[in-house]
Amino acid sequence: MAERTDGKAWINRGVFVLLAFVLIVIDLVPLDMRPSLWAAPDLLLAVTLAWVARKPRYAPVPVVAVIMLLADFLFMRPPGLWAALVVILTEAIRRQNREFRNMPLWVEWATVTFGIVAITLVNRLILAVVMAPQAPLTLTLVEMAGTIAIYPLVLAIAHFVFGVSRTAPGALGSKGQAL
Amino acid sequence: MARDRNSEDFIGPIRRLLVGVLVLALAGLFLVWRIDSPRVERLRAATVDAVLPSFDWAMAPITGAANLISDFQSYQQLRAQNQDLRRELQQMKAWKEAALQLEQENAKLLDLNNVSIDPQLTVVTGVVITDSGSPFRQSVLVNVGARDGIVDGWPTMDAIGLVGRIAGVGRNSSRVMLLTDTSSRIPVTIQPSGQKAILAGDNSRNPQLEFLEDTARVRPGDRVVSSGDGGVFPADLLVGQVALGTDDRLRVRLAADYQRLEFLRVLRSQLHEVIPDPDNLLAPEAEFFGPAVIDPAVLNTSELTDG
Repeated sequence: MAERTDGKAWINRGVFVLLAFVLIVIDLVPLDMRPSLWAAPDLLLAVTLAWVARKPRYAPVPVVAVIMLLADFLFMRPPGLWAALVVILTEAIRRQNREFRNMPLWVEWATVTFGIVAITLVNRLILAVVMAPQAPLTLTLVEMAGTIAIYPLVLAIAHFVFGVSRTAPGALGSKGQAL
Repeated sequence: MARDRNSEDFIGPIRRLLVGVLVLALAGLFLVWRIDSPRVERLRAATVDAVLPSFDWAMAPITGAANLISDFQSYQQLRAQNQDLRRELQQMKAWKEAALQLEQENAKLLDLNNVSIDPQLTVVTGVVITDSGSPFRQSVLVNVGARDGIVDGWPTMDAIGLVGRIAGVGRNSSRVMLLTDTSSRIPVTIQPSGQKAILAGDNSRNPQLEFLEDTARVRPGDRVVSSGDGGVFPADLLVGQVALGTDDRLRVRLAADYQRLEFLRVLRSQLHEVIPDPDNLLAPEAEFFGPAVIDPAVLNTSELTDG
């Protein structure tokens, strides 16, 4: 008898929202208003991708969209663009979710890396096309590299702290359906 | 498994459609922002206004912990700090003497000139709620807004120097664009040479001086104050000191303490009086002295009375 693993889906969705909320708040705390010479990794993006790659049910599309749009508004980014790109990327990863289960970690990491690089480039490209003000290129690249580098760490934390890991083959949902 | 695949095929297209609509809506929002930025920025201000005050309680522990750590660090350096402070105090005593003398002199001169300092320049004090949250944008949010009569464009200072200007006003909060932001440009005067320049933020700690007429007359250490040019800011607000950057560009070391901005003063900057017709300012038509306008009628009558 396979164990039923999705009974607490709603609780886990709440945990995801709470985590995103905490990450946004940490970014907003006014500690030092001097411009920094380097950019910290975009933890919110890394966490969202990790959750979608591991347990897509815990991070539904509307939740991801609302969180990212809120982050766009709060972080003074052009509203909507980054949110739309992240939603597209999460959808792509969500579709691959089943294949990830049987693949080694580096394949998943490579896919995510490709996705992050792609949406960063597309973001800059669209901003350039509509002639919107852009962030400095070096900072963007530093942030992108940081996000990619921290992804495995986020996966480890997701696994050991939040219990978000790959669904085992043959695991059943609360109604006995295959996951 | 097969049944599952079937149900997925059934849900799949609808789901894909909904996600597509969602993405399109987000992209549409971005386009609207690009076309009609002020409206969406107002929406942003309203969102921030609605969301951020509720974040206050969540931020308190983080801020507290960070302050605890920095207090602990300063505790460790107590001895060195004490010596530094003593040395600084010695220097300051000399400065204090000089300042007292200057103050007396200044008071005398002001009295002689019968100058009254602008009484309209009053302040609203606000507390910094959050910073911009992104390394690409240099701005802070203060807890005063339209409710307190804040208007876009007003200058903002900390206790010592200029910090930035209001860019975006919500009901209970407003955003202050710092001088270090890449889109910040303010007109400044460099004392004592009196040269005008533009202070341009470039996301570094010390913003650049641009459009200087004569760089040779500006030396590191010169005072930089705002100039009233263009009616952007009131004149003579302290900005900082000129410094030579490592890239051989003239930059400004800001006087405001950007490391810990807590209380900000928003200056109620009054609009400058607009002079529509500068010709009439010095010489109104009624009191025109000099060779009189020759009016034939007047000439004729005067001739008649003479005759």
